[in-house]
Amino acid sequence: MLLTLLAGCQPQRPPGTLVVGHKSRIDSLDPAKASRSGQMQVLSALGDPLYVISTDGRIEPRLATALPRLSADGLRARIPLRTGVVFHDGTRFDADAMVFSLRRFLGIGTLGYQLSERVREVRATGPHEIELELRRPFGPLPRLLSAIFLTPVSPTAYRSHRDKPFNDRFVGTGPYRLSFFSNQQQRLTPFQGYWGRRPANRGLALVTLSNSTALLGALRSGELDVLLSSGMEIDHQQALHQDARAGRLKEAVGPSMEIGFISLLSDQPPLATVTVRQAIAHSLDRRTLGQRVGLGLRPPLRQLVPPSLPGSEPEAWPAYDPARARALFRKAGYCGVRRLSLPFTFRSDIPSDRLFALTWQAQLRRDLSDCVQLEPTGMESTTAYDQLAKGSLVMLLYDWIGDYPDPDNFLSPLLGCEQSRGNRCLKGNSALSGSFWTEPGLQQDLIRSTELEGQPRVALLQTIQRRVAAASPYLPVWLMAPVAWSRPGVSRPSYDGSGRVQLGDLQQDVRPAPAHPREVRR
Amino acid sequence: MSRRSALLRYGAARLALAPVMLWLIASLVFLLLRVAPGDPIDALLGPKAPAAARAALRQQLGLDLPLTEQYGQFLSHLLRGDLGLSQNSQEPVASIIQGSLPASLELGLVALLIAAVLGLTVGFSGIARPEGKLDLAGRLYGISTYALPPFWAAMVVQLVFAVWLGWLPVGGRFPATLEPPAGSGFYLLDSLLSANGAQFWGALRHLVLPAGTLGLLLSGVFANALRLNLRRALDSDYVEAARSRGLSERRVVLRHALPNALLPVLTITGITVASLIGGALLIEVTYSWPGIAFRLQEAISQRDYPLVQGIVVVVAALVVAVSVLVDLLVALLDPRIRF
Repeated sequence: MLLTLLAGCQPQRPPGTLVVGHKSRIDSLDPAKASRSGQMQVLSALGDPLYVISTDGRIEPRLATALPRLSADGLRARIPLRTGVVFHDGTRFDADAMVFSLRRFLGIGTLGYQLSERVREVRATGPHEIELELRRPFGPLPRLLSAIFLTPVSPTAYRSHRDKPFNDRFVGTGPYRLSFFSNQQQRLTPFQGYWGRRPANRGLALVTLSNSTALLGALRSGELDVLLSSGMEIDHQQALHQDARAGRLKEAVGPSMEIGFISLLSDQPPLATVTVRQAIAHSLDRRTLGQRVGLGLRPPLRQLVPPSLPGSEPEAWPAYDPARARALFRKAGYCGVRRLSLPFTFRSDIPSDRLFALTWQAQLRRDLSDCVQLEPTGMESTTAYDQLAKGSLVMLLYDWIGDYPDPDNFLSPLLGCEQSRGNRCLKGNSALSGSFWTEPGLQQDLIRSTELEGQPRVALLQTIQRRVAAASPYLPVWLMAPVAWSRPGVSRPSYDGSGRVQLGDLQQDVRPAPAHPREVRR
Repeated sequence: MSRRSALLRYGAARLALAPVMLWLIASLVFLLLRVAPGDPIDALLGPKAPAAARAALRQQLGLDLPLTEQYGQFLSHLLRGDLGLSQNSQEPVASIIQGSLPASLELGLVALLIAAVLGLTVGFSGIARPEGKLDLAGRLYGISTYALPPFWAAMVVQLVFAVWLGWLPVGGRFPATLEPPAGSGFYLLDSLLSANGAQFWGALRHLVLPAGTLGLLLSGVFANALRLNLRRALDSDYVEAARSRGLSERRVVLRHALPNALLPVLTITGITVASLIGGALLIEVTYSWPGIAFRLQEAISQRDYPLVQGIVVVVAALVVAVSVLVDLLVALLDPRIRF
């Protein structure tokens, strides 16, 4: 009786307000503390960056009015700023506010190194113009400045939080203002003083549910209007995909900024030999793994740079070829009497990783049982990352999501090396990423690639990837694209070029769903 | 020594031992966290942040200090009641606990109430005819609810009542479109005090499934405990004596057997309350209930040392307080207990 009574007491939703569910708990909405995809997603509705990446991959000014004007030596970049913009607290956005925000980020930003490694100083050169002094020429500067964690905040509101985070409040310039914050729920209401296009809805309630099953259930029961896929288990994504195919939901797939790959400890036996690493590269059946583990939702990947970014090289890594793999294993002295035992670590707290390990083990047993035997071991993620940098893991499956959409953000974090001896990286990102691999001249090429622009840069990025593929210290496995689903009666979600749902475009809608977009995008 | 002064001495000794116990627990947690593999810097910056950024953050968080110095700082802050700042959010640990603990306590108390009402009703119902159908059904209920895996039970309840029937919310603690009531953090109480019906029903609707599931799972313990103790009491000499004096069976059961049978149940209640404070993790995770156990699990996975230490110390203090209280209450109610 009580249940029936409670069932009848469902609270009325304010008309036009949409409920969006996701799995990421939001500990802070301070851009300086933002490092996770959930935080970035919410911030993208609350703040404006200087530039945005359009759906077709172009860079467009947002709070800037034009692309940076570079000095002759490429070490100074002047950026003109938009006028007539106000913060949510009514104060004006100007060069001083932008400088305040960037300096604050440099001081306390969790991802502050992304800026401080490239930018030496920030100063105002006019009421609506700033100048960035760069450490060295940096071609992808507008892409870096499109990162939402560099969104400006009101100096007035953050005066007492100049040197410390302001977790439960956000005062920026975006289309929504934050009207309520808790770790589990945030409410956004349209900002009446917004300079740009107004949101299509009358407000958003963002809800964090801690498990994938609950999110799936909440969307199906109508508790949520829109659901974001980040952190959801793959079988639940598959179930929602089926619902979308059957017309019960609307689905949208965003540009992928997340890659899944295997790191190979390349400075110690048994993987110190290039031939063995190449043999393993040829033995990886990405198509089968993508179907069995990724349930067809994770396209195979044979490059480190996601295809939506310039400089991708679609077939850089060796394709699946068991005969070639056998020949290489034999050349390295395996197959027949001697069999290679290959320790493979997977993250035990991620269900699909375990399935990947078991499936790959079975696939290798099917194809190359006399040459190689995979020995999977589970390890909790944080422990695995710690062990990875210590060179304790022969192979680890994990993933990487770029902090901002640029190829450099996928190559440098895996290949950068500050100190090396021959092909062995002693200090730098390559060591932190568990491969400890480098090559003479590679670091210089990585730096040079950030100084170039246009086709010369694309060509160099492709060359770098082919060189790395030949040595195979990493094996790209698959792409993980963000997906969002909406219920009938709500418009189909759309993504920006950075892989975030454009929350301001969501609206209640009774139009029938057009053709299913996943097939079109992939 | 009189019974009263013996009781006071006993209580004082238990309370005096509590800080020692808390120090031991705090030290053990401090040590285990540092010994356990995994680096908080990885959890904060990700595995691929540059070495300089990692070193700077390590220094900022004080993780570069020698272990003895870190321990000394931790203890001196703890003695001043300062639990430190969360490494992840830089918020005071005390305020994070203040935000999460009421959610767990609210869930635990309502679940306990449901468990007690359900369990005691079931445990008492079969007493009129031992080994009869009702008694057997009660026994079966007790065993099966106790044996149910909490995670599975929670998911089934969630699936049926929230997803299929759509009667109640799938998870969370409050409707997304309403403002939670301000006050103590106990939403039911706060909304009642502010006489806000929408808030009250919103909070209650979110509480029913997690508290109901937890209550159901715990009720078997109460049912079995009462059934067994009541049976034992009804077979005892003083009950025989009461019957032989011609008292009605109703009076014999309610006035003589039941109060004695409830004493062990009170002890069980104490143990259950203590375990509920930090132990409803699976329920909290399944229903996205923002309680202390859920927060602890997240803090462990993020290697947020101060938050883990703070939560463990506070939960341990509460467990100690509840167990001392229950011991004293049982001692007060049961004259047979000697100290």
